[in-house]
Amino acid sequence: MKKKILLVEDERALCLLYEEELSREGYAVTAVTDAEAALAELERTAFDLIITDIRMPGRNGIELITEIMGLRKDIPIIINSAYQSYKEDFMTWAADAYVVKSASLDELKAQIRQLLGD
Amino acid sequence: MSELRKDIISGRWVIIATERSKRPDDFRPRGGGAPAPEAVGFCPFCEGNEAKTPPEVFALRAAGTGPDTPGWTVRVVPNKFPALTRGTPPPKVAEGIFQWMEGTGVHEVVIENPDHAFELSDLPVPHVGDILRVFQQRIRTIESELHYQYVQLFKNKGKEAGASLSHPHSQIVATPIIPKRVKEEIYGADRLFRNFNECAFCRILEEEQKAGKRLVARNRHFAVVAPYASRFPFEMAVYPLRHSPFFTEVREDELATLAETLKHVLTRLKDTVGDPPYNMVLHQAPNPSLSLKGWPDIDKNYHWHLEIFPILTKVAGFEWGTGFYINPVPPEAVARFLERP
Repeated sequence: MKKKILLVEDERALCLLYEEELSREGYAVTAVTDAEAALAELERTAFDLIITDIRMPGRNGIELITEIMGLRKDIPIIINSAYQSYKEDFMTWAADAYVVKSASLDELKAQIRQLLGD
Repeated sequence: MSELRKDIISGRWVIIATERSKRPDDFRPRGGGAPAPEAVGFCPFCEGNEAKTPPEVFALRAAGTGPDTPGWTVRVVPNKFPALTRGTPPPKVAEGIFQWMEGTGVHEVVIENPDHAFELSDLPVPHVGDILRVFQQRIRTIESELHYQYVQLFKNKGKEAGASLSHPHSQIVATPIIPKRVKEEIYGADRLFRNFNECAFCRILEEEQKAGKRLVARNRHFAVVAPYASRFPFEMAVYPLRHSPFFTEVREDELATLAETLKHVLTRLKDTVGDPPYNMVLHQAPNPSLSLKGWPDIDKNYHWHLEIFPILTKVAGFEWGTGFYINPVPPEAVARFLERP
């Protein structure tokens, strides 16, 4: 059975790219564009891993992670931000990995494989 | 009329507002009381969430409890997403007139207690002593790796002071180079040592104790002074009375007194100004195995100390442009306000 990934990313073009790349790796990807939609999806589906951006309209990724910790602490989370600077925020420690966005998704894919034990 | 005062060690000038200076109540949050504690959702530093931090490198914990489990009182973990990574620094690289090197270093977080709400001033004195002992242990361990030339210990309390999480913690960052500000202080102390033929910090301490008007607290091992050329309102410096360049040389009996001293002045600050955000930084000589080579007299001319800067004013264009600071509260007034009522 395919492992399920929830992708939270407000840029639709990036959602399409990630969906395509990660589907090719054999994952079932559900993409949403904000924290509210992510929380709604989490109620419906038992995801194996979450990838979230930080800067998003509405609640940001760090607020989303804090909320998720109140629901489930065991789900692996990867922060995927264009900014290094959020690493200074210790609330990011609630996530399991922090991958800075780049043109290549190799590092992100490696982190996913590591966290899912693939 | 204001006064221009010079910090003799760094050579930095400060403008002190001696008239119409501000009073403690001017800095209290509106409404008079201490700021309301922030709502605590999830906190990776709280007891029970050990799995969210990297494996601990040191902890004081109850007998029978294992690493990375509840049961600790002080816990040290490496930064999960560090800006500097541990390792031997490669040599500097020159690119035209520019220089760079790989970002090697150590970044550890000292979680001061398992409870999210208890700040240093709220903890019992023996617990504060434990935290100080852990600081010493970590600094010694890091300094045993000789490529780390300087170990900086600091604490950011409150968002305005740079803390991203309100759970009480301090940080230790070790770098493969000696930072410029540290060098400036060492050079200043060295220059004054040659003028006075004694440690400039010891001389300052002697004069401050004689004058008494900027003395915030004093006991058998430590004196707390509102520095003559304070940059910030309610700035304080904690000096050991026994001359030593290294915090790691503080003896057990002195450490217990330092814990009492810190708790006392931080409680007075909280009671007087309303629990302000602050930064606390340790100033000590560089890694002893190196510093004695670079500065043969450092054991005589440098004197470790702690500096505490409450964040009550903003650093703006004038300060950034000139290096001058404008302080609206004279240190003499700070000493009066902070003395036990």
